[in-house]
Order: sequence, then C-alpha cells, then structure tokens
Amino acid sequence: MTPNNLPENWQESFAELAQEVTSPALKRFYEAGVAGLDAPLKDAPLVALDIETTGLDPSSDDIISIGLVEFNLQTIPLRSARYWLAKPHGPLTAESVAIHEITHSEIQDAPRLSSFLDEVLDAIAGKIVVIHCAAIERPFLYEAAMKHYGEPLLFPMLDTMALEAGIIHKPWWQRFGRQPSLRLDSCRQRYNLPRYRAHQALIDALSCAELLQAQVAHHLEDTRITSTMSC
Amino acid sequence: MDVELSEILDTLCEYAPFADLKDEAILQEMVKDIDVQYLRAGEWAIAPEARNETLFFIRSGAIEAKNKNGKLLRRMHEGDVFGSSSLLRGGRSSHTMRALEDSLLYRIPSRWFIQFYSEFDSFSDFFELSREIRLKAAMDSQSSDLSLMTCPVQSLLRRPPITAEHDVDIKTAANIMSNERVSSLLITENNMLVGILTDRDLRNRVVAKGLPLDVRVDMIMTQDPITVDAGDFASEAVLKMMATNIHHLPVTKNDRPVGVISTGDLVQRESHGSVYVISDIYKQEDVEGLVQISQKMDHTFTQLVNADANTQMIGNAMSHIGVAFVKRLLQLGERELGPAPIPYCFLALGSQAREEQTIATDQDNAMILHDSYDKALHGDYFRELSEFVCKNLDRCGYPLCTGDIMAMNPRWRIRLSDWKAQFAEWIEKPKAEALLHVSIFFDLRGIYGDRMLAKQLNSHIRTLAMNNKGFLSALARNANQRTPPLGFFRQFVLDGEGKQSRTFNLKSRGIAPICDLVRVHALALGSTKLNTFERLEDIEEAGIMPDGRARDLILALEMIGMVRIKNQTVQIENDEQPNNQVDPETLSAFEKRHLRDAFNIVSRQQEFLKYRYPGKGS
Repeated sequence: MTPNNLPENWQESFAELAQEVTSPALKRFYEAGVAGLDAPLKDAPLVALDIETTGLDPSSDDIISIGLVEFNLQTIPLRSARYWLAKPHGPLTAESVAIHEITHSEIQDAPRLSSFLDEVLDAIAGKIVVIHCAAIERPFLYEAAMKHYGEPLLFPMLDTMALEAGIIHKPWWQRFGRQPSLRLDSCRQRYNLPRYRAHQALIDALSCAELLQAQVAHHLEDTRITSTMSC
Repeated sequence: MDVELSEILDTLCEYAPFADLKDEAILQEMVKDIDVQYLRAGEWAIAPEARNETLFFIRSGAIEAKNKNGKLLRRMHEGDVFGSSSLLRGGRSSHTMRALEDSLLYRIPSRWFIQFYSEFDSFSDFFELSREIRLKAAMDSQSSDLSLMTCPVQSLLRRPPITAEHDVDIKTAANIMSNERVSSLLITENNMLVGILTDRDLRNRVVAKGLPLDVRVDMIMTQDPITVDAGDFASEAVLKMMATNIHHLPVTKNDRPVGVISTGDLVQRESHGSVYVISDIYKQEDVEGLVQISQKMDHTFTQLVNADANTQMIGNAMSHIGVAFVKRLLQLGERELGPAPIPYCFLALGSQAREEQTIATDQDNAMILHDSYDKALHGDYFRELSEFVCKNLDRCGYPLCTGDIMAMNPRWRIRLSDWKAQFAEWIEKPKAEALLHVSIFFDLRGIYGDRMLAKQLNSHIRTLAMNNKGFLSALARNANQRTPPLGFFRQFVLDGEGKQSRTFNLKSRGIAPICDLVRVHALALGSTKLNTFERLEDIEEAGIMPDGRARDLILALEMIGMVRIKNQTVQIENDEQPNNQVDPETLSAFEKRHLRDAFNIVSRQQEFLKYRYPGKGS
C-alpha cells in the first residue's frame, strides 16, 4: 500500500495495519479504526486538517506546519483547534516563504515534526479526516511517517476539492470557456463564505471545515454514508 | 496569543463591541471558545420558541430578526452581533433570527458574554444603548468615563449612614428606616459594621415568612455584607454590585460604616438617558421634530425599566418627559401666535401632576387665566394656543382625553377666580356623583406660564378641603368605588361581587384605588405634596393611619406598579399597544403571591377609609 495504491476496504486494512505496525502511536491510530466511514455523514466525527510545506516534492520537501480542527455538520468548536510549527531539515526557499509567510526566524526554535507527530496522530485517530486537495497532504504525511516511524501512514480522506469537482461537474458538451477554479478560496466564494488569509495551516483547516458544511447544506444528502464520498 | 486564530480575532476586533477589547488578553481566550456555524439561507439561527445560549457574530451573510408576530424588526450583516437580549433574560428569546442569505456565524458561549458584560463598561454600554444614542454616548463617554473611573466612592455619598445596633427588634429597625426614608439600614456592633437590612429583606424574610416584629434584627439581616472602601473608585463599586447582583453596597472606612450607595444612585446617573430626551425635545424647532422624538418613547421607557429603575423613578422620568413636550409645544405655539396677552398657567392634572406617568397615558390638562382675562380680547388667542398644544400632544402619543378634561375645552380654561369658585362648589356642596369625574382636578400642578396662579389655586383647595368632613367623606366614598380583585387563579380573576373575568386592569383595580385613597388622606391633612409616595410619607408622619400602614401601601404601590410596567415592556417588545390589562396566566407564582398581598393591603385600607371619613350613606 502506498499513496498511489490505496486499499479497497479501509476497515480491513486498518485492522491489518494495526497488527503489523510496531510504533505505538501508529498502532493506536490504526486500532482506533474508521467506524465513521460506515455512518451517515451527519453522524461521522470529522476533523479538518491542513499542512504547509517547504515545497511540492514529498520526497525532498518538509512539512513546516500542521493545523487541525474537529467538527461536525452543525458546529466547528474552535476549542478543538490545534496548530504546530515544525523546523524543516532543509532551508526555506524564497518561493515557499512567499506562500505561507512563515519565516526562518519563526521556525528556527520550533521542534522537529518527529517530536509531535504522535500528538497529531492521536488528534485525528478514529475520525474522518477532511482535506482540501488530498493529493498533496496524503503523500507528505505518508513520507513523514516513513521517515519517523519507518512505517506507513495511510487513511481515508474526505476531499472537499473532489466533492466540489463533482458538484460543479458538467458533461463536456455543456462546458463553456474556462473551468471554474477549485482552489479553496474560490470554492468558498461560491457559498458566500468569508475570505480568509490563505496558507496558514489552521485557518485553511477551518476554511475547509466551513466549506464542507456549506457543500452539504447546499448539495449533498447528510444521510449519505461517509465512505461513498471519501477516497 | 498563539498566532493561529489571529484571523478570527482580527476580524472581531474590526467591529464594536470587540474593538474596545482589542488589547485584552481575555479576548484571545474567548476566541478559542467560539463555535463556527454555516447556515444556508432560510435556516434558523434562533428558531421560534428556542432557547438561546450564545452571542452570535455575523462573519458573512445576512440575518433577519422578527418578533413573535412575524414582524420584521431588523436586518443584520457582516460584523453585527445578535442574541444579547435573550442572554440577558436567561436564554428566553422573544425574537426569531433567520438567515436571509447563506451565512457564516461565530457563536460565542453565553458565559463569555456575561463575563465581558460585567467586566467591561464599553461592552455592556454597547448592548444597552440604542443605535440612535450610541453615537451620542460615544461623544460623551470621554468625560463621563473619566469621572466614574477617577471619582472615589466617597464623593457619591449624600448623607451619613443610617445605622442601628444589632440587638434592636425588627419593628424598631423598620421605624428607623421609614423615619429616615432609607431603603437599607446598616447594622452595627460597637460601631463596627456587622450586617445590612434592606426593604427587600423586610419583605422576603419578615412579611412573607410571617415573622413576629419583636425578633432581633441580627436574626434576619445579611451578615458580613460585601462592602466597598470609601477611597475606592466608583467604578469598582459598580462592578461589585453588578457581579454580585446586590442593590445596596455599604461603604466603610477602617471597618466603620460611612454610608451606602445603592443601584438607585447609579441608575439615576444611567437614567439621565431621559435627560437626553428632554434636551432633545427643547431643541426641536417644529412639531414634526417632536413627533419624531415621540416615536422613540417606547424605547426610552423600556430602557428605564431595563436599567432596574423603580416605579417612582420611572414615573418621575416619564412625567418630566411628558411635561417637556407640553412646554415645548407652548413655546412653539407662543412663537406662532405671539406672546400671551395676559398671564396664564398651564396645568398638568392626574398622573402627570403626581409625576407618576407611564407609557400609556392620555392627556389631562387645563389652564388658569389671569383674572384680567377678557373673552372678547383674549378668547381667540387662548383657544388657538390650547388647541395647538392639545392636538399636537395627541400627535406626540398623548391621546386626547376621552372625558374632555383638556385645556382646549373652554370649561377647563377659565380665570383663577372662576377656578376658585368651581372648587368651592365641589368642596362645600359635595355630591359624590359629581365628584367622581373631577377627582383628577385635585392633583394639579402648574407646569408652564405663571405658576403663582397654580400655587394660589392649590392653597385655596387645601384650605377648603382640610377638615371638611362632608367633602372628605364623599371623596372617600368615591375612592372606594373601584376595588381590587379579590383573588386570581390560573385563568381568571375574581372580583368582590364574585364575578369572573379573563384579565384585570392593574391601573383601575390597583394603582388608581391607592392614589384615590391616599389623596383623601392628603387633602384631609392639608399636604402640599402631589406624588403618591410623597403623600404617603406625609401621611405616615402625621400619624393618620395606624403604624406601618403607610409603608405597607408604599410597598403595595411599588409592587403593583412594577408588574404593570413590566407587563407594558413585554407588550412593547411584542409590538402590541401597551396598556394596563394583565392576564393572570402570564404572571409568575412570585408575582401572583405578592400581588395578592398588595391587593389585600389596598382592600384593608379602603375599609379604613370608610371608618376614618364616615358620612351618610356610607
């Protein structure tokens, strides 16, 4: 199993991984399972997550911040919000600083990701992780776990970007001109959500949680089984 | 703060009332406690009949507030807050809130609201002051804040404290309180403060419990009360009173009592909101301006009530506002018609004269003309002037008097000597039936023009009425015409004749009977007072009634008056025309019990009136 080769049945593979892995944090994570996948979306425990990185290549770039917030379809309690800064192994590039606005001086005293990855896993264990653009987050988290535990970290994700693509999808003969943007901020504007400063991991996680609430309120049955929407 | 939620904090701080709290560390703590909620257009933020536990901040979208009857109250947008009024009432919401557009709301748990409300003046002011006067308050805040922050408690004290030793009995303590006209008594032992006794304690711990009056006062006082030091800032005293919800705060110096400050003292500062209204009234250059101000009177009234003012303060404020309308209209009238050709005095009658007006009162007024009045020369002028005033008062929310007791009625616009003759006829040849309709004239106050005319008339009335047995007994008989309800049950009211009705009128069945019977005593002893509370003080001093009965009546009047006023504010909130009808079903058990006690007091005093002023036929 890798980010490019996801299991058919998450419940089974969690049970298997729980047996296989040896690092305690990962074991706890897999043992917690993903019961929410078989529940209707309105009953599933959700947690929105976002990471900022030094670049786009999971094999050479590092995670420098993680933000997450638990929620359900009614409320997003900010008291569940968590945020971590991580000191990267390589230098910060000017391009990445321009995006996330985290500077060298801010992170030189930050801990390494390895020192709090356990905490992150505990915070998301047993919940359905909601992400905007799983294609970035999934390989980065996978790489991080391989580096720090030597064991894989893979879990189902509910991708608001994929949901939005489905929502605005039209057959090719109905498409005119430019396709609507699927960027987080653009998606939010379609639901009258406020504009937040992007690329701060916790605010992006919150943005993502709000977006899912709005998408469900407008387009999706909240009784749909969660697994049918996730990847 | 941890940088992570600064996005939300920064947005809140762009808007009042959070902008003023920008530098408070506690605001950062609050942000962590926010719940975020997305509402689709049409969904409820506060559904009908739902309780509300949060203060809402609109981050994006629009919310529509409606009252129970579905009438649109206001629309709110990004940066507006709502939900405060239900939080202040313990979660009961009388309005519904619904998303007009897709909206994102930040929900702030009520405990933060309550904490900020009691800790930060700027925060509570924001919710107390209406939109219209918010700006004005902002302009004035610099000076007044400064004074409250920098003035010591000592400077608010008006008189030395009234104290009693801890071993006196309840009756002695109550007598000291009524003689000194205070609503709280400090209890001492060797000159050190050991307790406090308030009107409320007498009501709740003595009267309601049926305690004998020879019990020692230290058995019922509040021991070791919360105090404030004379040197503390006044603002600290305010915070203490708000935080602990007490109404009397003893002030001490080296543990010795030096005075008491009451919420009354502070409310009086607060209710100077009504001073704004009055000064606004005098600034108006035309009737239209006055009409516009009058449309905000419901709000002013509600504000006074919410500020926890007692009925006497509210009656006083509402009467002064009412008088200001009359005066300004007379000034505008004189500007239009020219100065008056001869001296005259415009009279307020009834509740306005007694300074007991509330919100739903029609006008009762009259005019005294100087004896040099010549109808041929001056008749048109005063007819036009009085019509101008009365008709425009009607437009300003003081409806024309159905009994036609108004200055525009030529019968009540006469010369001083004619007035004197009229009163002589009423008093010296009393006919109960005729008097029934004119008792209102015996509460008479000159409010504009040559007030000596009113003064002369009042002293004429006093001289004739005092000790005039026939008149007093006729007046007493009238005073007993309207009786309080005997009892009320969940769904109906029972009156003296065993008749049942659905609702009852607090004015005609409670307040008016008290005012009527107090008037008889006041005229009997020649009191110069008009206000019922003040008349009762005179009556008590003169010893006309048995010991303590005057004080009982004061409590009864306050109790009935309060229920009436609260009822009227609820009616205003529900967008109904405020009136004096009360449905017993809407009363709490507490209110019912105390109303029943109050009505019993009135009944007993009506009996006493018969006995005190006997006459044929009674």
